[in-house]
Amino acid sequence: MLPALRPLLTGLRRGQVVAVPGEPGNGGSRSGVLPWALAAQACIDGSWCAAVGLPEAGVLAAADLGVDPDRLILVDEPQERWADVVAALLAAVDVLLVRPPRRPATGLVRRLAGLARQHGSVLVSVGDWEGASVRLQVTEATWTGVGAGHGRLAGRRARVEVRGRGADARGRSAWLWLPGPDGQVTAIGPQDAPGTPPTYAEQNTSLRLEAAG
Amino acid sequence: MSGREAEVPTRVLVLWCPDWPVVVFGIDPDEPAVVTEAGQVLAATAAARSLGVRRGQRIRDAQRRCPTLTVLDADPTAEVRCFEQVVALVEEDCPRVEVVRPGLAAMSVRGPARYFGGEQAVALRIRSTVADQGYVCATGVADGTFAATLAARLPPGGIVIPPGETAQFLAPQPVSVLDRPDLAAVLTRLGIRTLGAFAALPDGDVLTRFGPDGALAHRLARGRNARPPATRLPGEDLSVSVAFDPPRDAEPVVFAARGLAERLHTGLAMHGVACEQVAIEVVTEDGRSRSRLWRHAGLLSAAAVAERVRWQLDAWRAGGSSDGSTPSGAVAVLRLVPDQLVPGDGRQGALWGRSATDERVDRAVTRIQAMLGHTAVSRPLLAGGRGPAERVLRVPWGDHAEPRYPADRPWPGQVPAPAPVVVPTDPLPVEVTDADGKPVTVSARCVVSAPPSAITGLPGNDRRPASVRSWAGPWPAVERWWDAAAGRRLARFQVTTDDDRAWLLLVEAGSWQVEAGYD
Repeated sequence: MLPALRPLLTGLRRGQVVAVPGEPGNGGSRSGVLPWALAAQACIDGSWCAAVGLPEAGVLAAADLGVDPDRLILVDEPQERWADVVAALLAAVDVLLVRPPRRPATGLVRRLAGLARQHGSVLVSVGDWEGASVRLQVTEATWTGVGAGHGRLAGRRARVEVRGRGADARGRSAWLWLPGPDGQVTAIGPQDAPGTPPTYAEQNTSLRLEAAG
Repeated sequence: MSGREAEVPTRVLVLWCPDWPVVVFGIDPDEPAVVTEAGQVLAATAAARSLGVRRGQRIRDAQRRCPTLTVLDADPTAEVRCFEQVVALVEEDCPRVEVVRPGLAAMSVRGPARYFGGEQAVALRIRSTVADQGYVCATGVADGTFAATLAARLPPGGIVIPPGETAQFLAPQPVSVLDRPDLAAVLTRLGIRTLGAFAALPDGDVLTRFGPDGALAHRLARGRNARPPATRLPGEDLSVSVAFDPPRDAEPVVFAARGLAERLHTGLAMHGVACEQVAIEVVTEDGRSRSRLWRHAGLLSAAAVAERVRWQLDAWRAGGSSDGSTPSGAVAVLRLVPDQLVPGDGRQGALWGRSATDERVDRAVTRIQAMLGHTAVSRPLLAGGRGPAERVLRVPWGDHAEPRYPADRPWPGQVPAPAPVVVPTDPLPVEVTDADGKPVTVSARCVVSAPPSAITGLPGNDRRPASVRSWAGPWPAVERWWDAAAGRRLARFQVTTDDDRAWLLLVEAGSWQVEAGYD
């Protein structure tokens, strides 16, 4: 659904746990629209999506990315029942965004990951998740479009790094518009990326992407 | 011929409490007040009506007619709870009271009339019973619920239509009383203005021109039952029940009620029938049984039946029983009994034709609501507005809501895309200062006192000031200036700070707030 994520992820498999740890100690902030972009990636027509423990989620941004707001369930304050809530939703929805509490019990985390595998739903954790098969992190980001008293936010160039198991273990990274001027997530060509010049491998991925697109 | 006789409805007494949604708020009828639902007037007090406020009006129109109007939101649970007290008292005289909706109940009057010496005597007795509770009510007696409801609306306090005269009573009534606006409009254009004229049309022609629903209205207009009674062998038990061991309290019972209602509907559908009413029977752990009839007419979904079970349990727990003792909360057995079976006409198909996934989602959500409460699970509803917080409403799952301001209108001055990803539930107050450390202000003419240079109080910064890298604004918005309560005058800014984060700030009446964050 989102071709921009293709150089980073071989694909979201059903039953997978993806973590977006964000800044350490800051509950997944700074990751921006990345969790929602992953959710949108996993949503196909008619998929249900749920968000647990994200009372401040910007639903408009999610809708711009392709999450259907009519098929979105929000459980803002699961309180101490969050594990029961997540377990109940995993059995019903296709994509589940969850902000785990500070220190979830290891057994619980493993059991919920098992449930996701069993029901074939994608679990996106906003904040770290022990045993996640893939971790995505925004390592650098700059906003563009606003000047000294003029302009408007046009987009954020962000470098997203992936670490994971198996085929994703190598640790790749790519520059993305996260989000772009229209709220979408798209790939940035290496010539537009700010700061350090991109490595050869990255140039290669984006070239391949252009050839594919 | 026995078939014909069966078509004449039984004698029914209808108890009608006028303006029930307003009455439950305990408002004096001489005070102008309305209860509203989805922006429309649902019920009004006598004083409001005398000033021209009508049911179905928009709130704005009602307020124009009566500026001192008190506007209240409908409270269906309170309506049921209060009406339950009334019904419990009436039930001592008349068994089998059917609640059509809160404020309107129907009961068979044949038995009580023989016992109390006439239908008029029963009507008087019920009126005085309800008056003792402090509620105003009217009663009407006729052949069938439809005619009895109309009879209840006639002054003074409703009338009794003698047996067999129902058709004559109905004949001069306007077609609008059928409560089918589309049908009434067509009939009026055809020159058919009264129920009598409508009743005179041949059955077959009505069915071919107006479909099953028109035929149903036609039967009502002729003083018949809405549908012919089902010719089904007696003795088949279609009721469903579930036992709780150990006895359970409200939420698990409501949850079970839903599955039970689904079983009931499946059973009915297998027999090709639908029920006009459904009885909710509850046996509490002390062995006492209570039951209440609800109008179903093939229109209640499983969720709606479960909702009624919830209302029922709430009402019984709050109001206690008629003999003064409070029933124990724990429920041992819950039973749903379909009543007045009629041939199913396939109306259910459209209502229940949902995919298996949606049913699964519904079940999961109901389970979470049972754990955390009804309002804990919500769905987003996109609405109109300028700021990101106004553009998304959170509606409790299962509630129906319409946005007050539709999204598909032009909203000049709307915050441009991309949309922020963090929208705090309550805006966070911050301090914005210029290079000299003085607070930044925006004048009435939208002139910024000095470029903002530092922001104190941003989330995740622990009161440390973050310095501003770039900013854009002010974007002024003057909203709803015609309404003193809802009017706002504010200006928005987009700001990026030196830690590469972007914010949407809002200044209103001199104070700054973080309205949203972009990362």
